[in-house]
Amino acid sequence: MSFGDLGAETLAALAARGSECAEVFLKRGRTRRFETGPQGELSLLSEERGWAVRAGGARSSFFAAGSGEPSPGGPWPSSDGQGLRLPEPGPPANWRPPADLDAPLVGEREAFALLRELARRVAEAVPGGRLVHGVLEDGSSESEVANSQGVRATVRRRLASLRLEVAAGRPPVGCRLLAAAREARRFDAAGLVERAVRQLEARTRGAPVERDRAELVIAPAVAARLLDGLGPLWVGPGAAARARRLRDRRGRLGSEVLSVVDDGRLPDGLLTAPVDGEGVRSREVLLVEEGAFRQPLVAWWQVAADRVRASGCTRRSSWRELPRPAPTHLYLRAAPAVTASSLLGSVERGYCLVDTLGAGHYDFDADRLAVPVCGYAVRGGRLAEPFTGSWLVGSPGGLLHGVRAVAGDLEFAPLDGLIGAPTLLVSGLELRAGGGELV
Amino acid sequence: MSFEQLHTTAISRRLAQVADGEGDLADVYFERRERVELPPADEALGLRVWQEQGLAVRLVRGGHSWLASRDSIDASSFQQAVRQVARALPAASYPGFRLEVEPPRAPVEAGEVQRFPAAVQRLLKERLVGFPLRLTVRRHRRWLRVVGTELAGEPQSERFYSCQARMPWGRHGVVLRRLDPACAAEMVDGLVELFRARDAPPPPPGRHTVVLSPQAAAVLLHEAVAHALETDTLALGGRPEAAVGVRIGPEHLAVLDDPAALPEPIRRTCDDEGMPVVRRWLVRAGTVEQPLADRYAASTSASLIPGAGRRGGRHQPPVPRSTHLEGVAGEAAEGGLMAAGEGGLYAPLAERGALDPLRGDFSLQLPVTRRIRDGRPQEYLGPARLEGRVAELLGAVAVVGDKPRFAGAGWCAKGGQRMAVWATVPELLLEGVRLG
Repeated sequence: MSFGDLGAETLAALAARGSECAEVFLKRGRTRRFETGPQGELSLLSEERGWAVRAGGARSSFFAAGSGEPSPGGPWPSSDGQGLRLPEPGPPANWRPPADLDAPLVGEREAFALLRELARRVAEAVPGGRLVHGVLEDGSSESEVANSQGVRATVRRRLASLRLEVAAGRPPVGCRLLAAAREARRFDAAGLVERAVRQLEARTRGAPVERDRAELVIAPAVAARLLDGLGPLWVGPGAAARARRLRDRRGRLGSEVLSVVDDGRLPDGLLTAPVDGEGVRSREVLLVEEGAFRQPLVAWWQVAADRVRASGCTRRSSWRELPRPAPTHLYLRAAPAVTASSLLGSVERGYCLVDTLGAGHYDFDADRLAVPVCGYAVRGGRLAEPFTGSWLVGSPGGLLHGVRAVAGDLEFAPLDGLIGAPTLLVSGLELRAGGGELV
Repeated sequence: MSFEQLHTTAISRRLAQVADGEGDLADVYFERRERVELPPADEALGLRVWQEQGLAVRLVRGGHSWLASRDSIDASSFQQAVRQVARALPAASYPGFRLEVEPPRAPVEAGEVQRFPAAVQRLLKERLVGFPLRLTVRRHRRWLRVVGTELAGEPQSERFYSCQARMPWGRHGVVLRRLDPACAAEMVDGLVELFRARDAPPPPPGRHTVVLSPQAAAVLLHEAVAHALETDTLALGGRPEAAVGVRIGPEHLAVLDDPAALPEPIRRTCDDEGMPVVRRWLVRAGTVEQPLADRYAASTSASLIPGAGRRGGRHQPPVPRSTHLEGVAGEAAEGGLMAAGEGGLYAPLAERGALDPLRGDFSLQLPVTRRIRDGRPQEYLGPARLEGRVAELLGAVAVVGDKPRFAGAGWCAKGGQRMAVWATVPELLLEGVRLG
C-alpha cells in the first residue's frame, strides 16, 4: 500500500472510531554511517520506517507512534489528554525541490577515504595531532503528513553530517567539530582541518585572559553558538516579553547592523522544505530588523496569544518526536560587502574568539551571560598569542547592542536547527579567567 | 512478548554463511520497545504510546564492523540485512524460513503511570510544601534477543520508569525500578531538597570535605569509575588492558558491575550482544581489575572479558557500558560518616557528570549542598560543581558508608547512546575535593 493510501485509510478508521480530528505522519529514511575510532572502523546502513498518529477532538486526544506502518484498526490508546487542534490546509506551496536530493548516498570506500584524509591532514598540521574519532553520516528521508482537515504534504530531505574529535599535546587536549552538508561529498577537508588546528593551538598553547574589556572579533562558529544560546529570545510566545526587557531607550533590541531571520525554505538551505512537520507552509520570518524586534517565531496554534504572523516552523525530525516550534535556518544576516579580514584589520587591540569550550549560561531575567571561549589576542589588526580557559562575560542585551559590524562570511552550524552567523565585531563584553559562577 | 519462539538454528546457519573467515563474528539483534508517557496535566495528547521493533545484523572482521538495521522483523528484512553486511551474495543459499513476530494487539494499559503524579502531590502536601510542579512520568519496556553463529543468548526483558519534574527554579529527574510509595517518597525527597535550597547561596569555591549520599555517589562512580574503565574510553589513550593493575584509589575503594544482581524486572542474564553477564570487579582494593568490555574489545585482547555490551537501540552499534554498579560497603555507620564530615558539606543529589576521556578531567554538578553541623546536614546551600582529575577524586574517598542503597544512577548518554544505569552504593566521604 502506498504512503498516501495508508494515511487515508488510517484517517478514515480514526474518524469511524469517533475522532473529530486526526493526523497521520509517516516517515521512511535510509542512513549510511561510517565511523573510525576506539571501536575500530564501523560501516552502518540503517533503514528506518515509522509513523505517528495524533487524534481526538475539542476535549480529549491521544498520541501513538510506532515502527513500520500503522494498523488502521489500532489498537489506539484512550483519548484522555487535553483537546487537540490541527491546522487547516493553506494555499498550494510554490515549490521546486533542490536538484540534488537524488544523489546516491556516500559509499564505504569514499567515506573512509575522506576520514583518512582528514586524519592525515591533522597529523601533518599539528605536532602530535590525531583524529581520535570521526563519524560521517549521509542520509535521505521522505515524510508525509495528512490530516482530517485536508492537509496533505510530502517532504523529502537529504543531509550529511561530519563529527570529528581531534587531539594533540601531552597531556592531550581535544576539540570537536561538527559540520553539515547536503551530501557527504561536499565537505571541505582543508577548511575543517584549519578550524581544528586553530582550536587546538589556542587550547594547547594558550593561557587564560585574566580580565579585559576590549573589542572582540567573533568567528562564525562562536557567533552561531551565541545566537543558539539566545534561542529563548527568538522562539515561542514568551520570546517577545523577554526581548522587551532587553530593549534600549530607543526601543531597540540590538544595534542597527543586527537582523535575525528564520527561513524554512531558504534557497540552498540544508533543511529547506515547502512545509513544516504539520504540513503548514514554511516561509521567511524577520525576527529582528536592523536592531528592532519584529516578532518571535511562532506556530499557527500560538498566534492568538501574540497577535503576530505565524509561519510553518513546527519541527518533527523523527516519527518519534511530537511536533514543536523550532528554528529551521535561523541566522544573523550577513553584509556581503564586508570581509572578515577587514573586521580583524580594524581592531588595534582586542581578541578573536575562535571556539566555545562549553554551552555557557544565559539568564534572560537577570540579563547576564557567561560562555567559556578560546581564541587569540589581536594586535594591530593581526592575530597574536592564543588564549584559552576564559569566559565571555556580559549580558544578552549587551551582546546584541554591542554588535558593531558583521561580515559576509555567513556559516551555518547544526545546533538547535541550522543556526547561522557571519564574523562579528563586538564591543562592550568582557573576557575573564573565571566567570561561570556569574549566572 | 518474548523472542522465545525464534528459529535460532536457521538464523545461526544463515549467519554462518557470511561469517566464513577466521575470527569472524556475526550476530543478529532482535528488539522490541515500548514507551508510555504521561505528560503534565495541562498538555494535549494524554497517555502517549510508542511501540517499535526491528533487527540489526552485524559482521565483525578484523578491526571492522558492518551493521545493517531495519524497523521490522521478518525473514525478508533479515535476509536483506545479512546480504548488506556480507557486501556480496553468499556462495550457497539455504531455503527460506519463517521469521515473524506478532505486532502488539492489545491497547496499552498504564494505570500505575497515571496514578503516580497524584501520589507525588500527596506526599508533597504531607511534607507541608507546595510549589508549581510539572511532572512527566514514563514507563520503558524492552524485549531483546541476540542470535549468533555459535550461541543464542537467552531472551531478555526489562521494565522500569523515569520521572522528570520541572519547577520554576529547575528540574529534577529520576530513574525508578517501580512506581510504588517508596519510590514516590524518594522522588519527593529530592524535590523538597531542591525547593528548600532554591534561593540559598552556593558554597564558597575551594577545597571542602563532602559527604555524598548514595544517589550522588552513584553518579560519581558511574562517571569516574565506570566511564573511565570502559574499553572505548581506555582505547583513546592506548591498549585498554594496560589499565589492569593500575592503582586509582585508596585500599578501601572497591566497585563492581553486576547486571545479574539487579532486582526484577530489570535483572539481566545476558548483555545486548547475547553474552552472559559477569560479576565484574572494576576496582578492587583501589586497583583496576577488569575493565568493562564488549565482544569487539574482547576480540582484541585475551585479558578482557565480554559481557558488558550495551546498545541504545538497533540502529546503533554495541558499546561497552556499565549496567549496575555496586560499591562495596565500608565500616562507617551514617553517624560516623557525618561526624567525620563535621563542618563540611553534604550533597543529597548529583547530576550532569562529565568526564574528559583524554585528560581524565572530571566534573559533577551538585544541585543542592548542606552544611554538616552537630553530626547531621543542617542549613541549605546552593549548587556547586565538584571538579578534579579522576585519580585525584577517587583518591579523596576517605570513608565509605556501611549501608549500600539501590538507586537509579540516571540516564547515560555517552556517545549519543541513551541508556538507564543503576547502582547499589553506600555514602562516601571525600576529603579536600575542589568545588568550583
